[in-house]
Amino acid sequence: MLSAEAKRKLAAVVGPQGYLDQPEDLLLYEYDGGVDKARPEMVVFPRSTEDVVAIVRISKEYGFPIVGRGAGTGLSGGAIPRMGGVIIGFSRMNRILEIDLANERAVVQPGVVNLDLTVAVQGDQYFFAPDPSSQKACTLGGNVAENAGGPHTLAYGVTTNHVLGLEFVTPDGEVFTTGGKEADLPGYDLTGLLTGSEGTMVLVTKVVVRLMRQPEMVKTLLAIYNSTDDCANTVAEITARAITPVAVEMLDGVMLRMVEEATHAGFPLDAAAVLLIELEGLSEAVLEQVEQIREVCLACQAREVRVAKNAEERDLLWKGRKNAFGAVGRVSPTYYVQDGVVPRTQIAPTLRFIGQTGAKYGLTISNIFHAGDGNMHPIILFDPRQPGDLEKAQRAGEEILDYCISVGGSITGEHGVGMEKTELMPHLFTEETLAMMRRFKELFDPEGRLNPGKMLPTGRGCLEIRQPALGPSSIVY
Amino acid sequence: MLPPQTVSPDSPEEFAAALRAASDQRRTIALFGRGTKHRMAGAVPAAEVNLSTARLTRVLQYEPRDLTLSVEAGIRFAEVDQLLGEHRQMLPLDPPFAGEATVGGVLASNTCGPRRRLYGTARDLTIGMKFATLEGKLIQSGGMVVKNVAGLDMAKLLIGSFGTLGAIVVANFKVLPRPQVERHFLLSFDLAADARAARDRVLRSVLQPQSLDLLNPAAAARMGKSGFLLSIQAGGNRAVVDRYQRELAALGPLSEVDPNWTARLREFTPAFLEEHPEGAVVRLCSTLETAPALLESPAPAVIRAGSGVAYLYFAEASAAAAVLSQPKAILEFSPTSRSFTAELWPSPGADFEIMQRVKRMLDPHHLLNRGRLFGRT
Ligand SMILES: Cc1cc2nc3c(=O)[nH]c(=O)nc-3n(C[C@H](O)[C@H](O)[C@H](O)COP(=O)(O)OP(=O)(O)OC[C@H]3O[C@@H](n4cnc5c(N)ncnc54)[C@H](O)[C@@H]3O)c2cc1C
Repeated sequence: MLSAEAKRKLAAVVGPQGYLDQPEDLLLYEYDGGVDKARPEMVVFPRSTEDVVAIVRISKEYGFPIVGRGAGTGLSGGAIPRMGGVIIGFSRMNRILEIDLANERAVVQPGVVNLDLTVAVQGDQYFFAPDPSSQKACTLGGNVAENAGGPHTLAYGVTTNHVLGLEFVTPDGEVFTTGGKEADLPGYDLTGLLTGSEGTMVLVTKVVVRLMRQPEMVKTLLAIYNSTDDCANTVAEITARAITPVAVEMLDGVMLRMVEEATHAGFPLDAAAVLLIELEGLSEAVLEQVEQIREVCLACQAREVRVAKNAEERDLLWKGRKNAFGAVGRVSPTYYVQDGVVPRTQIAPTLRFIGQTGAKYGLTISNIFHAGDGNMHPIILFDPRQPGDLEKAQRAGEEILDYCISVGGSITGEHGVGMEKTELMPHLFTEETLAMMRRFKELFDPEGRLNPGKMLPTGRGCLEIRQPALGPSSIVY
Repeated sequence: MLPPQTVSPDSPEEFAAALRAASDQRRTIALFGRGTKHRMAGAVPAAEVNLSTARLTRVLQYEPRDLTLSVEAGIRFAEVDQLLGEHRQMLPLDPPFAGEATVGGVLASNTCGPRRRLYGTARDLTIGMKFATLEGKLIQSGGMVVKNVAGLDMAKLLIGSFGTLGAIVVANFKVLPRPQVERHFLLSFDLAADARAARDRVLRSVLQPQSLDLLNPAAAARMGKSGFLLSIQAGGNRAVVDRYQRELAALGPLSEVDPNWTARLREFTPAFLEEHPEGAVVRLCSTLETAPALLESPAPAVIRAGSGVAYLYFAEASAAAAVLSQPKAILEFSPTSRSFTAELWPSPGADFEIMQRVKRMLDPHHLLNRGRLFGRT
């Protein structure tokens, strides 16, 4: 329990407009984009690194847990205060501190929204490459913590490939900077270790990122299939033919129909699956690859290949893709997204396994995912009011992830382990490996005050899935 | 290049056991691949136990259709390169000492070369790793898929750690298809400012060259050329590469060089060191904006002008002092003579304190590769 004295001290740091402690406000912070829930005792909104240090020191003095939070779009319960305590919301630390195009860098506070960074530099023909589908809402701090990906990370890499330096506050209240605008600084790559540490080791207060030059030409294709297998095989075939699209996204029939109803993006309602493929680069390369892709798709029995004629058509296709989760929310009150990864050649059998698993449990599972790098996103629809349904959804999810592991994959490609998959970590890593990760966690957070109960096995079973997180009325992506 | 009595275990498990045995007896340990980089990052003084990965040479998994590769750390980079080449694929790290260097050594030293502009470095291409600790444990990081955020990315710490934390025994990579055509161009200028301006125009253009290096006349001379050079490697289909030729020609006097050029550029450092046993190489981690100023250096300068990392070459190590006093400089390669005592990494940042905590956690008795990490461990 947070003492009244600690609360007073926290309030003094952030000011009367800088915190929430009323039950009706705290309710909004008990979930993120995932399915788990736990209520914070207070939410504080620092404005500066100094505020963060002061908050962390109070946490140390009184011994309560702290959890960083960006936009709360995380899908693995990362920003949920599993053990109670105080949420540190970074929404007021949302300034782009520096745009340095000559050096292809930007320096930002953690609360900057992902898309805002690209918007700030696109007039100069630059962009920030990691583009999670949630990019209109999610923050750079959250991206760093989760090592977020997105459709275009197939070609450009994930967040860690674009983060060169960090300023961070340790759970002891020390401030450090590591890395910087320069590449290859000598010493251990702490930036690389901390990126993807899921907010369990440090609180990030500043990020140095890489900016990239926009490509000359972009072409977007929609390939339409009557068979999911053919669609999945196309992905492997594209790789085999050494064609290098920047994005290959797959939507299955269930998903297509939900998306089309919600967005009218022009997806065919009767197809078994589609691929959304994007090519970027010099015009000479892109135009050739458009033809190569068409050829591969047709060779893999695509019934039709459409090329977006202009930016409007392209935006519409992407709107369909990026609004997908909102579309699901219209159809099912509750859903559960998994994030397993498989080698690209295993996509077809993995989809078959997912289908069988859905049938076995009597659950609808739809798929919309980053097929180009084998990052599956089975979306398991269920009704929490039906007794036993959520347990079934959970079990189905676990079986799918175990299948991903069995074909040489992983349990999470971009959403993180969070509090959702902690108990699956031993399926992927040896005890020695998990012990080593725990030692790193303890090196930074010996008292276990920062985001406890995440990423590493807790020895307890998964918490109950209780509530829908992203309902129809939540932010639409 | 390896000290006498070097032990080369046959498997990752045996390697871990050997580390543990040495550690249990509190013996100092020197780790090697094939010993190509003994002048890099500080010489390791004679250790009580010498361990080499030279017999960990298996290819564990190579799935061309998945574009992934898993190898033991002692395999030579050149062998990997050849294997991938047979499938028209590549791991474009371009490390120096490529003929003999082991994959583990390339990672531990985080060496790379010209094509980093487009493809990144080891931290971008490594998707998984197994490393052995002094406690005899084999620790996994990542896996065999190109996208994976399960657990801590500990591999990042081992990359560039110069064997001061543990021994890399297995490495997994994402590999890439080789472009249909690759060509190598040189723009040569009388003035540094013009070379720089040409570089700036390439950076601001839609071109995405694989490499972008600046050489000053002293470095150009070592490559048999003259003037300030902008060296560019481009890949793609024929039309794309032809376009590079056209657009680059508009920037200045253009010539084309044979593929051997990049190999020689990659091996610039080894060639220099061989000629200059008492010479030294300084690496300056700089920015795109500030790096070109180093073209004015009288000493040979090779600048990875698409990343800001610069290499300066000194026939006499003592002449390196001035450059070394810059904040983000290190003496990357030292003279062979032991009498050389300059600070190799004069100004580590404040985060060095955390690095020391990491070091103490993994090597509390300070047994591993003493003196490495630029004399700081
Ligand atoms: C519709 C939808 C689509 C999505 N698509 C993608 C996708 O394509 N790719 C992808 O990778 N993810 C995707 N996500 C997941 C999510 O958007 C990302 O994980 C994102 O990076 C989370 O950012 P956030 O600001 O919302 O972070 P939060 O959810 O607020 O927090 C996530 C984690 O970051 C930590 N954290 C936040 N700020 C800090 C800080 N300053 N310092 C330390 N730790 C911090 C939190 O403690 C928590 O552990 C999607 C989510 C939704 C809802």
